Amino acid sequence: MAARLATRLADLPEGSAVALRLGAENYFDTIRAILDAFAPKKQLDALYVTSTIPSKSILNALEVLEIPLDHIWFVDCISQIMMSSSEKHPHAIYVESPTMLENIMLKVEYLIRRSQGRGIVVIVDSINSLAIHNNTKILSEFLHIMVNNLRSKKAYTLIFSMEQYETEDIRNMMNLVCDETIAVEAEPGG
Amino acid sequence: MPSKERDTSEDEVDRCVTGIEGLDNILNGGIPRGNTVLITGSVGTGKTSLCLEFLVHGALFGENSMYISVTESPEKLLKNIIPYDFFDEKLVRDGRLAFLDIPVIYDRLGLDKPEFDYEEIHILIDAIVGLVKELKVKRLVVDSITSVSYRLKSEEIIREFVLKLGSILSGQGTTTLLVSEISPTGERYSSYGVEEAISDGIIVMGNLERRGDLLRTLQVVKMRGTMHSRAKYVLDLTTTGVLLVPLLKGGSVAGGG
Repeated sequence: MAARLATRLADLPEGSAVALRLGAENYFDTIRAILDAFAPKKQLDALYVTSTIPSKSILNALEVLEIPLDHIWFVDCISQIMMSSSEKHPHAIYVESPTMLENIMLKVEYLIRRSQGRGIVVIVDSINSLAIHNNTKILSEFLHIMVNNLRSKKAYTLIFSMEQYETEDIRNMMNLVCDETIAVEAEPGG
Repeated sequence: MPSKERDTSEDEVDRCVTGIEGLDNILNGGIPRGNTVLITGSVGTGKTSLCLEFLVHGALFGENSMYISVTESPEKLLKNIIPYDFFDEKLVRDGRLAFLDIPVIYDRLGLDKPEFDYEEIHILIDAIVGLVKELKVKRLVVDSITSVSYRLKSEEIIREFVLKLGSILSGQGTTTLLVSEISPTGERYSSYGVEEAISDGIIVMGNLERRGDLLRTLQVVKMRGTMHSRAKYVLDLTTTGVLLVPLLKGGSVAGGG
């Protein structure tokens, strides 16, 4: 599944915005496809916006999977609101709360400036967790501005949408801002 | 819609490019050269950082830049700019970026009275203008005009100070930022209400509380000589400089901030 998804993403034109519809069972395979196959193949810096689980958890998983962190950076919107006292990771910057959508854009912009001219892929994980903390109106506005800004910089935007938690509003929002929707499915029998 | 003639005249404006990408976009390319601009806001809104970055970029562009500080020592200010990725200490060593402590000027000029009248004000203006000419300063920051104004007896003297300083510096092609400190609930853009009326531009920096989150904001309320956005933006102070994005309207509190 990971190889198939990575190939599909690699065929997309620069600046594409893609909705990735996935089930919980495909979550880590999807992350692996992006961070271990698609981004290195295209020589991209991966900016991972997480509002679902703390960056520390994903970093631990990357460590287990032996995925190098050199070109992976996190914008962590959930650790501080959880009041977790864990130490800060040098590859993560923190936004106080997933409601501070402007600050998410600012941190992404900051990391882009520090990327030293490399291509960029921004992963938003996930639209569903952001929807818990924000109303549809402000979330649509956020995605519209951020995606268009990234498009103008020829950066890829990949937005996770967890099938189990998708609502009509979320589907409409994703249709509005994304060029394409990819349903991530496990290999038959795999 | 702006007419073609207006667009053409906008293109012809001689601008002082701030080097702060988001702000230059808001200002349609930069501050019209020679303008005196009030940078106003309450504590912790990023006024000093914005002004320092304006000067550092100026020095990097080859424009001599000077910071007149009333309340903070040059050493402390330098500590604030060293973390900038684009700062080079050579700018200070080469005299492209100068810091001046105003209490030192007061001492040298023998201005030891607690309150200044017209005579002292003219001595102070002459001293500042003299330095600007001598050092060929193209960008000047006075931080803060509020602290200078504490020593001025009346609104008339404040008016005289800002107007005369601004007009002489404008004549020299120097773009000046005057920092104004106001209370968070202030309804005016300056402590005395005089500075805002005289300045060519007003940039308001604030804190916007939205559902318990505190966002730093910036809004250009007035800028003579150019078209500009009047919308409110959210800013972040980073080692790559001041970053700006539009304030999202979907969840903002009516009348907030």
